[in-house]
Amino acid sequence: MVSITMKKRISFIFMISALLLSLLVVRTAWIQFVMGKELQAKAIDSRLRNIDVKAKRGIIYDRNGSPLAISVSADSVYAVPSQVRRSNQLEEIAEALAEVLELNKEDVIEKLNKRIAFEWIKRRIPDEKIKQLKELDLPGINFVEENQRYYPKGKLAAHILGFAGIDNQGLNGVELTFDKELRGASGKIMIEYDAGGREIPNAMHQYIPPIDGNSIYLTIDETIQYVVEREIDQMMKIKQAKKAAVLVMDVKTGDILGMASRPVFDPNNYAEYDQGTWRNFALTDAYEPGSTFKPVVAAGAMEENIVKATDRFYDPGYIKVGKETIKCWSRTPHGSQSFIEGVQNSCNPVFVTVGLRMGKDNFYKYLNGFGFGAKTGIDLPGEATGILVPRSRTKDIDLATMSIGQANAVTPIQLVRAVAAIANDGWLMKPQLVKEIRDFEGKLVRELEPEPIRQVISQQTSKELRDILESVVTEGTGRNAYLEGYKVAGKTGTAQKILPGGGYSSSEYIASFVGFAPADEPRIAVLVVVDAPQGVYYGGQVAAPVFKNVILDSLRYLEVPPELKNGVIIEEKKITVPDIKTKNIAQATKELKALGFKVQVEGQGEAIITQLPPAGTEISKGSNVVLYTQDSESNQIVVPDLTGRTIKEASKILSDIGLGMAPQGSGLAALQEPYPGTKVDEGTVIKIQFLSPNVESHEETIGP
Amino acid sequence: MSFKKKQPDLVLFLTTFLLLSIGVIMVLSASSYHAMLYYDDPYYFLKRQIRWSGLGIIAMFFFMNLDYYKTKKLIITGFIINLVLLALVLVPGVGVEVKGSSRWLGVGSFVFAPSEIIKLAVVFFFARLMSINTEQIKNVKGFFSYLLILAVVAGLLLKQPDLGTTIAVAGTAFCMFIAAGARISHLTGLAITGLAGIAGLIYQEPYRLKRIIGYLKPFETASNEGYQTVQSLYALGSGWLFGIGLGNSRQKFLYLPERHTDFIFAIIGEELGFIGIVLVISLFFLFIWRGYRIALYAPDRFGSLLAVGLTSIIAVQSVINMGVVTGALPVTGITLPFVSYGGSSLTISLIGVGILLNISRYAQK
Repeated sequence: MVSITMKKRISFIFMISALLLSLLVVRTAWIQFVMGKELQAKAIDSRLRNIDVKAKRGIIYDRNGSPLAISVSADSVYAVPSQVRRSNQLEEIAEALAEVLELNKEDVIEKLNKRIAFEWIKRRIPDEKIKQLKELDLPGINFVEENQRYYPKGKLAAHILGFAGIDNQGLNGVELTFDKELRGASGKIMIEYDAGGREIPNAMHQYIPPIDGNSIYLTIDETIQYVVEREIDQMMKIKQAKKAAVLVMDVKTGDILGMASRPVFDPNNYAEYDQGTWRNFALTDAYEPGSTFKPVVAAGAMEENIVKATDRFYDPGYIKVGKETIKCWSRTPHGSQSFIEGVQNSCNPVFVTVGLRMGKDNFYKYLNGFGFGAKTGIDLPGEATGILVPRSRTKDIDLATMSIGQANAVTPIQLVRAVAAIANDGWLMKPQLVKEIRDFEGKLVRELEPEPIRQVISQQTSKELRDILESVVTEGTGRNAYLEGYKVAGKTGTAQKILPGGGYSSSEYIASFVGFAPADEPRIAVLVVVDAPQGVYYGGQVAAPVFKNVILDSLRYLEVPPELKNGVIIEEKKITVPDIKTKNIAQATKELKALGFKVQVEGQGEAIITQLPPAGTEISKGSNVVLYTQDSESNQIVVPDLTGRTIKEASKILSDIGLGMAPQGSGLAALQEPYPGTKVDEGTVIKIQFLSPNVESHEETIGP
Repeated sequence: MSFKKKQPDLVLFLTTFLLLSIGVIMVLSASSYHAMLYYDDPYYFLKRQIRWSGLGIIAMFFFMNLDYYKTKKLIITGFIINLVLLALVLVPGVGVEVKGSSRWLGVGSFVFAPSEIIKLAVVFFFARLMSINTEQIKNVKGFFSYLLILAVVAGLLLKQPDLGTTIAVAGTAFCMFIAAGARISHLTGLAITGLAGIAGLIYQEPYRLKRIIGYLKPFETASNEGYQTVQSLYALGSGWLFGIGLGNSRQKFLYLPERHTDFIFAIIGEELGFIGIVLVISLFFLFIWRGYRIALYAPDRFGSLLAVGLTSIIAVQSVINMGVVTGALPVTGITLPFVSYGGSSLTISLIGVGILLNISRYAQK
């Protein structure tokens, strides 16, 4: 028998045990109910591995929605080194990778031996290589789809667009200034892994979708930009200049419609170009504008009533300012002339006289008023401020040289804006490069309204000066810019370049032309600057033809009705331009004339490459239709067969032979337009439809 | 001496059987993933657990029918042999070393741990001594002789090192001291020096100190010392009331270490929730209640003390194991009786149950 004491003792042990068990129940309840949610969240967090899903970079469009910068997808290869090592086939895997991807085997081995969870092997690889690798099915080697920036129009608007780097980060141009908008927000894929880094069965997947970047609609008009690029290239080919810039600005809104600088680069392969080509001469470099600056001086003087159009001046061929003598550019003195004639003749003594009469205060009032010596605030990186002679140190001789566009250095964007202000009833606008920002669904995010800064001169002065500047083209030094049908106002400029050590070069000049049209109701202002052209260097010879062609094609494109010489506007009846691109010249000319158009043929070829205005445009009867042809033996390009090529290969081939590419889809080229064998103009954009081969075997792989 | 045989304690039997069944199911759930990974067979541990359970149940039935009082003559010899085996384990080349502890003896596939058997041996030995001389434990000299024996056993165990079994044996012995009538003052003194001794042992071994830091600050040391505790709490905390469902444990994906052995209780909490936890704790409560009840109604002092010891082995181990899993105690390396995976430990526990059931057949009302 068990004693009573012992029974008590045993009961005590039992009681203690029972108490401890109840405490465990309480403890567990506390963990599960009080701490539970937090612990569970932490547990899930510790088991989930995040994989960034990159947002698709926004598209950059021209003002009419034509894409200039897009994102195309390409696969990249990465390794999970621990998985590779676990397979015990590291050598074989490295060898296979090195062979397919054309890499150094030792480098691959080094990557695979790293003690990290993730290592890129090679990024953005042609689809066929990806296919090869996927067939090899190498353990620990995975694929992820990445976006790559692609500029379908090649060099078109290269300086405006800039470029984005390998991680889709904006590095230059609008890609840089609007990087925040374009970038979007990365999403996440969260997958549950075991503690050894293996994906577990029935793993929890959480997907936070990325928010694709916003799209940018530029103020640039692709057609005008194309005209600008075409003209600047043509000029560069003939004149072999060091640098050049052409700007087209909408005078009312300040919108930049076209802007090109030379030298240029292809943003698709920006790294292969010298960094100097990345500079956008139109706004990063200041130069002495020479005579193209005279309209600014005239504007100030006329606004201050210092000079009237009819005031008489006498030019003996030079003018003395203190001890210095400033010569007129012309060998034969202009003699007695009115102010209008002085402007037409671009007479230096006239402007020196006017400048000196204005005095320092008035002069600087308009210098600053027109925005010189300050950034214009255009949405592009690297804008220069220009250099003005410090006001405090300005003497008469400085005032005199400033009056003829020397001593001060301005940027092309500053000058075109000032001239646009003269045309725009004196209103100085902020140059706009971006019209609107839309999200990836096309919903409007932000609209950038025109920004008037100040009225520098009165409407009256503006009108008077417009007439004077028009006469420069009709009767003065700017005759090479004369256009039948349109009233054009403008000013030439030929400035000696400043030598690096000071003083002026005797062999290098900057030829320029600035102006606007139509003179009585201005729409666009255009500036052409050519730095160090070979051979003939006068602005009237080098820059004016470019200016004229840009103005003409732009006004036609903008459907500005041409006027007869007597000022009567041509009859308003509109006719639709037919598509005559496929026909030969004789046939097309016949057809167009029958409809009541004038026909202008450009080039010596038989086949019509393109037409302006494009088919479907409604224009007035009697308007010019320009047919562009190209000699079949000179610049005609036969479209190659691209079937089966990857996007990158096709792009390379096309850009090598001077054609553009507009890709659709991803994978290998399946359809193309124009068809192989078609002869096309240089710079033609070939549309290619890419298709993914065997879609069903395309494995969905995800990587960080 | 001979007693009249009755039916064995059915409640104890069923409780054991239920715990065993839960164990088999949970071992499968907790181990299938890494079994697949490392042994290419998701049922690797399940098969072994079923095999050992079968063997254990056979052993249980054998001992249920072997009259406990007939073992008396074998006790002293058995205990000494056990001590020798325990010492033999420590001889280099004889003991099989796994994870830094030399705990096993044997050749080929037949391997056993003398430390598991010593739990039973100590209980039998102490029950025998305490029933031969009932007054010995009450005086200082007698009490110290028991402590000396205990110290020899503990010393051999700690040499392996096997802290878990040492604590289980010491805890069991302490319960037996209480039941046998040791003086309150002696017991209090022992408890204090025992705790101090444990503290000393902890400071002696750097890995034990780390465990304490992990216990005191699990979340601050979640990546090293506190890892096991934190992962265990993650599992429990994910369970809420009904759990995330049988077989759905996430922490078993190699996050929770010893998931099918020492930390199986955490997997139960994760998959079956608070309901599962309460069920398991209730089963242990039932077991302990029936176990000590058998002790109360045992026909003699030897049987009663034997029952106290055998029940205490289960009580001490289960309370400590669950305490560790819930982060209430530092990590010790003690399995959950009947539930955790583990061959010899399971068999020994079931033999204990067999003996308890045998004692229950002689219950005197």
